[in-house]
Amino acid sequence: MGGCTLTGALSVACFIPGAVTVVHAPKGCAHQTFSMLHALMNEAETRIVPEILVSGLSDKDVIFGGEDCLRQALDRAAEKKPELIIVVTSCVPETIGDDCLAVCREHPYAERTLYIPTSGFLGGSAKDGENAALIGLSALAEPADPVPGTVGIIGEKNLESEVEENFAEVQRLLDLLGLTVSVRFCRNAAVSDLRKLGTVSCFILRDGRCADAGRELSRRFSRPVVSGFPRGLSGSVSFLQETGKACGLSAEKIESAVLQETKYQKKMLERFANLAGSRVCLGAEPFEGTLTAAREALACLDMTESPNGINVRLPFYLPVGVSGTVKMLYLWRRAILHG
Amino acid sequence: MDKGLCVNPVWPCAMTGACSVLAGISGLDVLIHGSSGCYYYPRSLLKVPLFCTYLLESEIVFGTTGRLKEVVDGLSSADRPVAVLNTCIPALTGEDLSGALENKNAVLVDAPGFLGNAEEGAKTAYDCLGIKTDPSRNGVNIDGVSLLDLFWRGNLHEAERLLRLMDIPVGVRLAKDRYADLRKGAALHTVSVNPSYPSGVGTMLGSFLFTDVKDTCANLAETFPDADIEPVLEEWRRADEQMFYSSDKYLRKYEPPVAAVCAQESYALFAKTMLERYFGAEVPVVLARNRDASHIPCETDLTKIVREISAAGPDLILGSTFEANAYPAASFLGITPPDRSRVSIAARPIAGIEGGIMFLENVLNTLIDAASHTKK
Repeated sequence: MGGCTLTGALSVACFIPGAVTVVHAPKGCAHQTFSMLHALMNEAETRIVPEILVSGLSDKDVIFGGEDCLRQALDRAAEKKPELIIVVTSCVPETIGDDCLAVCREHPYAERTLYIPTSGFLGGSAKDGENAALIGLSALAEPADPVPGTVGIIGEKNLESEVEENFAEVQRLLDLLGLTVSVRFCRNAAVSDLRKLGTVSCFILRDGRCADAGRELSRRFSRPVVSGFPRGLSGSVSFLQETGKACGLSAEKIESAVLQETKYQKKMLERFANLAGSRVCLGAEPFEGTLTAAREALACLDMTESPNGINVRLPFYLPVGVSGTVKMLYLWRRAILHG
Repeated sequence: MDKGLCVNPVWPCAMTGACSVLAGISGLDVLIHGSSGCYYYPRSLLKVPLFCTYLLESEIVFGTTGRLKEVVDGLSSADRPVAVLNTCIPALTGEDLSGALENKNAVLVDAPGFLGNAEEGAKTAYDCLGIKTDPSRNGVNIDGVSLLDLFWRGNLHEAERLLRLMDIPVGVRLAKDRYADLRKGAALHTVSVNPSYPSGVGTMLGSFLFTDVKDTCANLAETFPDADIEPVLEEWRRADEQMFYSSDKYLRKYEPPVAAVCAQESYALFAKTMLERYFGAEVPVVLARNRDASHIPCETDLTKIVREISAAGPDLILGSTFEANAYPAASFLGITPPDRSRVSIAARPIAGIEGGIMFLENVLNTLIDAASHTKK
């Protein structure tokens, strides 16, 4: 379980420099997300935490209505003269019947205010919140002609501790194809960058979690969509093929990239050669696709799977490309060689 | 109206505070009656098993009591009582949850997040648990033990040690005890390791924060004539001397620190007093997380907290990594959650004599490290 729509929406909206995020909710709801962002920023050794302005609904406001609280929060946000105010809501204003859209529309800063009706858990899960935010924010961009050789990354998991490492792995593969990321939608991308969304040749989704947003973006901008970051070793090869094709690259260019990648993978796996012959038990699959990636690595290293083998835990994340697979193998090596 | 408006609020809601009390009690299942979002945060923060009804929109429309009964019945098969913790939306729709829990081995704790802060929620949880005192229960209860506190395990160990030194039995631990023991009744008297989390159970004899230990011991001696408080007082005097020795040594080389303290009002006051006593420090910023106290205003808006800190320009921050990250020019020691500056697994106290020493030792090392870093 990953929280309600509010957490999901904030995990997208809070990563837009120059924008101010207003949460219409009791303070505690905003604290939850702020606290999580803080934890992850520390893990990433980034000390800059986005500002979340919360209307701070109290027990009195839930009885008499909270629209004035939202107005005041918008006033405070507008004082900063941001490029964009993003308004998201928790389940409380939804339940007490606040007309948040009307408050946003009537506010003097309405032209630069984007209301995303998340409604806490009444709008669904964190995943729904992420998709609502991505779709809502895509309205900032106009359809445009594609710029060849550019891609847009959609729906990176900003609350994932290894988000930059995963991006670096994708970028490594895109480099092999000669492609450039022009928009990270929405990860530390300014409003002006988000407006370029319509210019990319194709969209690369983080994973199936943002498939709803991917469908909407594909429809709106008429662009192909790559369904997710590469999973494991063979996933890296198929990612190159799929992305190259989506961007209209030549078969020769794609084949050359695949060849380089195959050599790279072979070199990376050499450091685990001493695991050959080990028998391991993989246990339960925490995420769909992890087991496939793990079994593929086993086969490449001449290891075997057995219920009586050494317990090696599958990672609690889907290994992205070679980099993610190597990290999983380090954990295995520790278990096999050092118990 | 502007009162609630807040940027980057630094303190959890009432529901989380209530949950921290209930989750500390063994033999009691905690069921959050709310959405996955309300469950997710206390579950990840407290790192203890919790249950949830995972309410959906349809249940809010058609009523949540059916779902609540279903989950409580499922949990009851484990033959343990269930604490049902209510959240914002079922509290707003006004369903009769008590009625739904009739004839069930369950206690309802109505502490929706909008009710206030974590301490208010914790107090609500204690009130709902209805822990009574029992004159036949010997000893003293240990209060102020909260899973939200960075020092709860260390504080509990230290309080038990001090009471043992004085030959005073421990009554119940609030809230880190068995539910069955709490139902049997608490002792008539209580000491606290963190007065910001008062249970209201028993007559309070004082806190075990270092600055309060002597007064609390005097109260204990008056209440328990057979208790021998001298070993604790002797230890206190020795610790006091050691701390003066170490801080004197520091002050031979360096100037007294200028500090900003942001914590629950009990720890904030403790930290301020310790810094002034041993360093003669200036403490121009003291802000409480939970409530206004004498000379300590409450502030939970991070931008306002940072504004005050920046204006004072301290060289030491005692607080959370919220403040530390926002004002990296100062050296930092974590005394309130979250503290993301360090891996923390051991049971570290801030209360008691060892807690006092550990606090001062950490302040000294933080300051010396910073001075050494500056020299380099």
